[in-house]
Amino acid sequence: MSKSLMGKYLFVLMLALFLVLAACGGDDEGAEDPSDDGSEGTEETEEQKEEEEEEAVDPEDQIYDIDDFSTAVSNDGDPIDGGSLNYGLVSDTVFEGTLNFNFYGGTPDFEILQWIDEALLSMDENYTYTQDGAATFEADQENNSITFTIRDDVQWHDGEELTAEDWVFSYEVIADPEYTGVRYGTAGFTLIEGIEQYREGETDSIPGIEIHDEKSFTINYERLTPSLLTGGVWTYALPKHIFGDIPVAEMEESDAVRQEPIGIGPFMVDSIVPGESVSLVKNENYWRGEPNLDEVTVRVINPSVVVQELETGGVDLVSSFPVDQYPENSQMENVEFLGQIDMAYTYIGFKLGDWDEEASKVNYMPDEMKMGDVELRRAMWYAVDNDTVGERFYNGLRWAGTTLIAPSHPDYHDDSIEVPTFEPEEAERILDEAGYEDVTGDGFRETPDGEELVINFASMSGGDVAEPIANYYVQSWQNVGLNVQLLDGRLHEFNSFYDRVGNGGNDDPDVDIYMGAWSVGSDVDPSGLYGSNAMFNFPRYESEENDRLLEEGISEEAFDVEYRQEVYSEWQEFMVEEIPVFPTLYRSELRPANLRVTNYNIEQGSGVYLHELGVTQEEPVVAE
Amino acid sequence: MSNKQTEQELEHKVDEVEVEKSPSGLTIFWKEILKDKLAFISLMFLVLTSLGVFGISLILDQEEIIRVDLFALHEPPSIEFWLGTDYGGRDIFGQLIIGTRNSLAIGFLVTLLSGFIGIVFGVVSGYFGGHVDNVMMRILDFFMVLPNIMIIIVFVTIVPSYNVWSFSLVMTAFLWMGIARLIRSRALQEKELDYVQASRTLGSSHMKIIFTQVLPNITSLIVVTMTLNLAANIGIESGLSFLGFGFPESTPSLGTLLSYATNPTTLEHRWWIWVPAAVLILILMLAVRNVGEALKRAADARQRRA
Amino acid sequence: MWKFIVRRLIITMPQLILLSLIVFILASMMPGDALTGQIDPNISSEAIEEQREKLGWNNPWYVQYSDWVVGVAQGDFGQSYRFKMPVTDLIWDRMINTFWLSLISVFFIYALGIPMGIISGRWNDKLVDQIITGYTYLGFATPIFIFALVTLWVFGFHLGWFPTGGSVAPGLESGSMEYILSKIHHLLLPGLSIALIGLVGTVQYLRSEIVDTKQKDFIITARAKGAPEQRVYNRHIFRNSVLPIAAFFGYEITMLISGSIFVEQIYSYPGMGALFLESIVLRDYSVVTALVLLFGLAAILGALLSDIILSIVDPRIRIK
Repeated sequence: MSKSLMGKYLFVLMLALFLVLAACGGDDEGAEDPSDDGSEGTEETEEQKEEEEEEAVDPEDQIYDIDDFSTAVSNDGDPIDGGSLNYGLVSDTVFEGTLNFNFYGGTPDFEILQWIDEALLSMDENYTYTQDGAATFEADQENNSITFTIRDDVQWHDGEELTAEDWVFSYEVIADPEYTGVRYGTAGFTLIEGIEQYREGETDSIPGIEIHDEKSFTINYERLTPSLLTGGVWTYALPKHIFGDIPVAEMEESDAVRQEPIGIGPFMVDSIVPGESVSLVKNENYWRGEPNLDEVTVRVINPSVVVQELETGGVDLVSSFPVDQYPENSQMENVEFLGQIDMAYTYIGFKLGDWDEEASKVNYMPDEMKMGDVELRRAMWYAVDNDTVGERFYNGLRWAGTTLIAPSHPDYHDDSIEVPTFEPEEAERILDEAGYEDVTGDGFRETPDGEELVINFASMSGGDVAEPIANYYVQSWQNVGLNVQLLDGRLHEFNSFYDRVGNGGNDDPDVDIYMGAWSVGSDVDPSGLYGSNAMFNFPRYESEENDRLLEEGISEEAFDVEYRQEVYSEWQEFMVEEIPVFPTLYRSELRPANLRVTNYNIEQGSGVYLHELGVTQEEPVVAE
Repeated sequence: MSNKQTEQELEHKVDEVEVEKSPSGLTIFWKEILKDKLAFISLMFLVLTSLGVFGISLILDQEEIIRVDLFALHEPPSIEFWLGTDYGGRDIFGQLIIGTRNSLAIGFLVTLLSGFIGIVFGVVSGYFGGHVDNVMMRILDFFMVLPNIMIIIVFVTIVPSYNVWSFSLVMTAFLWMGIARLIRSRALQEKELDYVQASRTLGSSHMKIIFTQVLPNITSLIVVTMTLNLAANIGIESGLSFLGFGFPESTPSLGTLLSYATNPTTLEHRWWIWVPAAVLILILMLAVRNVGEALKRAADARQRRA
Repeated sequence: MWKFIVRRLIITMPQLILLSLIVFILASMMPGDALTGQIDPNISSEAIEEQREKLGWNNPWYVQYSDWVVGVAQGDFGQSYRFKMPVTDLIWDRMINTFWLSLISVFFIYALGIPMGIISGRWNDKLVDQIITGYTYLGFATPIFIFALVTLWVFGFHLGWFPTGGSVAPGLESGSMEYILSKIHHLLLPGLSIALIGLVGTVQYLRSEIVDTKQKDFIITARAKGAPEQRVYNRHIFRNSVLPIAAFFGYEITMLISGSIFVEQIYSYPGMGALFLESIVLRDYSVVTALVLLFGLAAILGALLSDIILSIVDPRIRIK
């Protein structure tokens, strides 16, 4: 033993050295970055860098503002002829490979689909359909119908013409009782005349849909709502010449979805490595024009290697960038960071009732719930410092939310509404006035009836800073004397979190408050989240005023945008008074792009399309 | 509260093992360790670390350590924070202490519990033999087939909340087979020996024979196996926590500290969060192994003499 | 021999059935299902409930289990809800990846471990032995996930010698030379990190075996007869020591499989281990059940394989 002792000591020493070196190596690199600045790179980025350099703060303490980010790449050089581009699909799981809009479920698949297929109607920056897409539409308010006309030059990748029948076919498949996806059930389907007859098998086609000719058809609705024109209409066609012979139940597992997906988009699938990557080639017959790029490769990359891949030019664009990695990498010299406000918000919800399975609606019972007192809820809003959370954890790339319509819908978000901000004194005052006082002297307030008040807070695990943020909120509430505890003393994994909060209708009575997040759809209508018969109305809040406002927001009058804005302003204000939930953070999304990328804009309705996307040099720009 | 429970349990279990040991075995072990400097240092290190982390964590204000401080995120090591802070502004040194305590506690608990089950199972099966042995071995075979890491992961996702104690139980349920098998084969041999047969004819009860004759004779085997199991169990715990199927962050363990390294920024720029935990795991494993090897040699030597 | 194998396989049947039952019950106790993740205001909750009903997820577990058993009997392990494809097809793809990873790991374990063990045993207590022993000493104590993480970071990130994820570069024609090379390139780093830790057992075993054999009578006799040293080693010592290593092959496989969970996760390598973790998180039960069964089966077959090899290389051990 002792003879080989020396060897052992030697190795312990070497290992220690290795670890220390490794650690220092990483550290050095971090320190070097800023000094590398003045080196090469295009003019635009240098300017940007200088701005940042002036402040000369530790990257971790730097506060950023999403308004400073552009949504378009600054490289305005002419794209070279051809060229290939690598797109990093950032995901810690593989992609499922359900490559058809009518069947897909997960975000990774969506990221691939947007290259090979597209919605037949385009949207503007407010997510309202326009007439610039592969099809145009005409709404007839008198007859409650919309007529769609497909442009003449739109073809499937295999050269077949896209027909009205293809589009109608997608309706017939999704509404089919055998359909295996989850797309049915929204107003765009349920409002169609006679759809129930079709679902029950009484008719072979949907009675409310009339096909006029090769390229046009009309859908008759029971009534029109503005939601239909902001994402409600199903705008993805399904090629009948391919899927026509496949039984509906077997479509999603067919080769036409998994192996040889097809669409009308600017790129066609060349080959697929299941779960890992998809190689695309340009669709020369794309209706908007021949794409600039010859090839696009979409490849799954783990969030932990995004930075590495960007630096080495392994990918030119990515589907998302982890915001928490931005401060350390904001100086990356071969990419430009684009950014915009994300269509999402984080919020704290108060349980005010439960789900009535039979009536399929919420059972609002504020008097029986701990959180039933609106003053208590208001005080809890005053007690938390969301701006500091955003600044400290996200370097300003998330910031305090105000209303329940996020600024990603600029037309509808009302920023003039006054909302509670961090004022612990105010919180204490409200609680004192409402009768929540510490009568037992244990440091925590009791209810006005003198009963002990322990508030159970459910929060989701996952995401890097989930735990500290949840704990921060707990601490903040404890600071104003409210005994808030994490439910079961820990965070809950995604599935069990939503299970207990009430997805599925079995609300766990132990949950008093919870922190969730919504990613909002293109349609601004919030009734899917806050309507009295929405399962996702987890607070289980209901009131006549709320119902009325939500109803008016999708009424026929609301086709008038100004009227709709007023209604939703009123609703946002009403929610700030009632506080069934309150938004904590709005979010931004960052999309780095290699400096060689041109004609790229991440903004909705920017008018820059993927076929224009190009590169200005053969090889990606690589970080020094 | 669970900690106290844990410690009591530990003491309880330690007592049990001590009772089983024959004094001669203990002295031989002790002598061997004194002889082997590395083993001695390792043992001292283990004892001091255990005492240290259990002691300090009694004084340390746990609430304070896992308290989120928005204005001290990612601090590098300093006088105030000896090993810096993590992304919640929480002191790494404190977490390391508590984490080591939790990891060690689980390691000890799982080792003792699985040892206990394994010994009882093995001795009963081996001593009685025949049909009893047959049935018990089928049960054992079945457990051996289970892909245990996967089953533990499935279990952990079901149990909504668990502490050091219940987590150890879950791990134990799928980690007792190795030792049971070993003990059984030794017990099979032991019972054929003359002295057991003699006692049996003299009318001693099975219980008495097992406790006074069979067990003392396989003590050395038990001690050695359990020591080496300790290292393995600490490794499994940290592995599970690393994958995210161990403890929540509010109950730090060495594995949770290590799992922070899956974030590339932490891996590259914030060594203070994960390197100390990595080094500590390594040293703990080495120390346990050094002691185990020394014990093994002692046991072998005794065997030869016997 | 054949009788033995058949009997062993028959014994495993009830084990597998029991295992499947347990996994099934456990899976049904997990909170949520594959549709719980569909929390999206654009999807109606009625549509989700309808799917649940249609897929039979609202049935009590024993009904689901018997449906499942009937399917398995016909070779159908059900559908993966998440991937919308038959579980068998899905796992088959991943199994091939894991198979190659295991193969390359085993290759490195033996290609590096056997020479190291022989060298260390032949020149025991020399410097070279001390270095190797030191290495195995450390290797024993290093958890595989720490090691994999550090190697990924050093060789993947810092030096950029190896890809940091996936199993093959995109756009290559399956079966072409480039494709195969790319596959190997992706396998090298994860395979090596498994092997460098995994070879510890082999090296230690081989070393002590050789050191023991060296002192055995027949070696001393051979030497006394004046046989050259090299010949003594080649003909007598190595053959006796290396053969049993082959017998561990089966167990080695079992070990590799549990190690693959960590390594595949760290290297984002799309194999069965990574699939298992994803399926747990996303509640793709049919996949979880099939994978646990498959891993169980692999463990059984590994043990069986070891026993068979052992009986071949060592005639003293007879299998009954």
